[in-house]
Amino acid sequence: MKTRREFIQGLIVSVGGVAALSACDGEGYINATSSEDVIRFYGESEWQLVEKLADLIIPTTETVGASDVNVVGYLDGLMLGWANEETQAKHRLALKKISAYLSEASNGNFLSASLKGSEDALTQLDTEAFSDSNDWSGYRDFKSYVTSAYFATEKGAIEELKWVAIPGRWDPSVELT
Amino acid sequence: MADFDAIVVGSGMSGGMSAKELTERGLKVLLLERGPEIIPERDYTDHLTPWQTPNLDSVAQHEIAEHYPRQYGGVAYAIKESTKHFWVKDSDHPYEEADGTSYDWLRGYHTAGRSIMWSRQTYRLSDLDFEANKKEGVAIDWPVRYSDIKPWYEKVEQFIGVSGASEGLPQLPDSIFQPAFELTDAEKALKQGVENTFPDRNVIAARIAHLTDATDEQKSLGRSNCQARNHCHKGCSFKAYFSSLNATLPAAKRTNNLTIVHNAIVESLDYDPEQNKVTGVRVIDSEDNSRVTYKARVVFLNASTIASAMILLQSKSSSFPAGLANSSDQVGRNLMDHVSGANASGILSGYDNMKVYGRRPSGGIYIPRYSNLDGRDRPYSRGFGFQGGASPLGNEGGRIPGIGREFKEAHRAPSPWRIGIGAFGEQLPNPENRVTLHSEKKDKWGLPLALFNVTYGSNEYRMLEAASEDAVEMLRAAGCTNITATPVSLTKPGNRIHEMGSARMGRDPKSSVLNSWCQSHEVSNLFVTDGSFMASAGCQNPSLTYMAFSARAAHYAADLVAEGVF
Repeated sequence: MKTRREFIQGLIVSVGGVAALSACDGEGYINATSSEDVIRFYGESEWQLVEKLADLIIPTTETVGASDVNVVGYLDGLMLGWANEETQAKHRLALKKISAYLSEASNGNFLSASLKGSEDALTQLDTEAFSDSNDWSGYRDFKSYVTSAYFATEKGAIEELKWVAIPGRWDPSVELT
Repeated sequence: MADFDAIVVGSGMSGGMSAKELTERGLKVLLLERGPEIIPERDYTDHLTPWQTPNLDSVAQHEIAEHYPRQYGGVAYAIKESTKHFWVKDSDHPYEEADGTSYDWLRGYHTAGRSIMWSRQTYRLSDLDFEANKKEGVAIDWPVRYSDIKPWYEKVEQFIGVSGASEGLPQLPDSIFQPAFELTDAEKALKQGVENTFPDRNVIAARIAHLTDATDEQKSLGRSNCQARNHCHKGCSFKAYFSSLNATLPAAKRTNNLTIVHNAIVESLDYDPEQNKVTGVRVIDSEDNSRVTYKARVVFLNASTIASAMILLQSKSSSFPAGLANSSDQVGRNLMDHVSGANASGILSGYDNMKVYGRRPSGGIYIPRYSNLDGRDRPYSRGFGFQGGASPLGNEGGRIPGIGREFKEAHRAPSPWRIGIGAFGEQLPNPENRVTLHSEKKDKWGLPLALFNVTYGSNEYRMLEAASEDAVEMLRAAGCTNITATPVSLTKPGNRIHEMGSARMGRDPKSSVLNSWCQSHEVSNLFVTDGSFMASAGCQNPSLTYMAFSARAAHYAADLVAEGVF
């Protein structure tokens, strides 16, 4: 049984891209943290909030959800490795605002609210954030981070996005079935 | 005694072609590249999957601010964590702008230069372009016509590989094509709507330097057909798109006539007044600052339009106090680019049940120039083409309402298609648009910084306003809804990365630097075959033209060497 990496290497050779071979050496990596890491961007309550929000936005269904692919760790790594101080501060402020709204919408404690209660509170916020003229850009940015991170993971890309490393051809007209 | 028959300065788009043609004619060639070596097996990153690139493949914000503020500001779409090594660090390679002006000098210093990162749109010029200056009394007449360069276009196209379709348009002559990337259904609808409504306009498949039916010669260089991955800005391990590194340099190497020296910054050219020839090329090693002079019978400058002009300006002597081959005072002047900033998009319904397979590289459609074809019929001179494409709205990166299962499924659901088009317009030559040597500021090798003084004229503004209106008209003709046109805002000069014109060719040595062979009027063994020679810009992407003129000049120079002239 070939691994996926071995399969791609074989395909590259078969179509003549010998130069790519050694480029396939070495494992890839994700700049993501885990809840056990000592150095993290998120504090404990932020980590819990982001983890819960991500899982509500992209839950596990027939395909993996945000928690299955460590989206919270990806975002933590993103804030540590990519964001500058201004973006970090903006992100923290957005989380505070989101937390305050959801806490009020779920009788004081969003993190311990039931699944139904959490979904209702977040749906209320999401509806407001995507209505005209509001200042919920921080939430919309957060949701974009969550979605982009999810699709950037191996399972998110392959299972949900159906991302293919080497399509091999261009078909401009494929009927959805 | 010359060390080499020829020295080629620069290994990019035109330098690679010069080196290939000269070596294949039997000349021993030294190729000088100012940057480090790129080794595809080590430096291409096209094999990386999305989950192998950290931080969504984005360069850290503090790193952009410190090292890439200008490069990233100009081409954020191309500078990723996985590709940043193909772009210069502004912190290492600064430049200056005259007060009140702004210029994007976007570069890569390494083997093959920007031919690794280009967007591969490949079009011929026509006599509409070669005759324009003369007909309009603008700048100077080109000393060549389309018939002079046509065989060289053909030669280059057969070698590099261009996908596209023959259309029979006089203003955009057909190339020798490999099969085109077929238009999507929405793009076909745009084509039908536009061509029915505007009989003088055409929507055609973009012509791009990608292999879709590789020839035996291309296969012999290890090249193969495009795999529709659209990872092109990361290099291509299949060598499916043309770059110097994928094609011309391997072809030159296999002659055993090529020597490449990297990290070789050209300081100046040595001129011998007794022979009236260039005798040597002075080089600084970028790593250890050591200096060496290489000698050759012929020198080709292919350092790119701005760098080649600067080398000439830096090569001062008592014979040429204003810079080598610059008695005309035209070196560094007439700096041109293409101008964009008129974009529109719209939503096309009726194709929600359709999707695509594969990731088409570069653009999908091209709308060739249609204005001022038969004389002046618009309130501006020259014209513009549109580049663009259509694709399903699809994944909006989370910027759609909803949460949970419905939100997840929304990313897989059928969606309308968005068509977007953007203009690429011709900038007129203007001698006041120029690059000069900064009188005080130096780089870390002690060479003067480039000082840009480039602005647009009123024609460019009028043209782009008209292009914006035309774009909306065409999307409407295609049946688009929700049409949006961003307010016209001209791209900075240099931003299209099509800089050209800094050592223009012409018939009169008093008003031009080069003759019709890209040969210096004044110093016969000096050739400049990057974009510097361009007497006008056309509105087509210019790399093919640079390569065709390079091939032509290389054969001319090789003939002269064979005749013992040099």
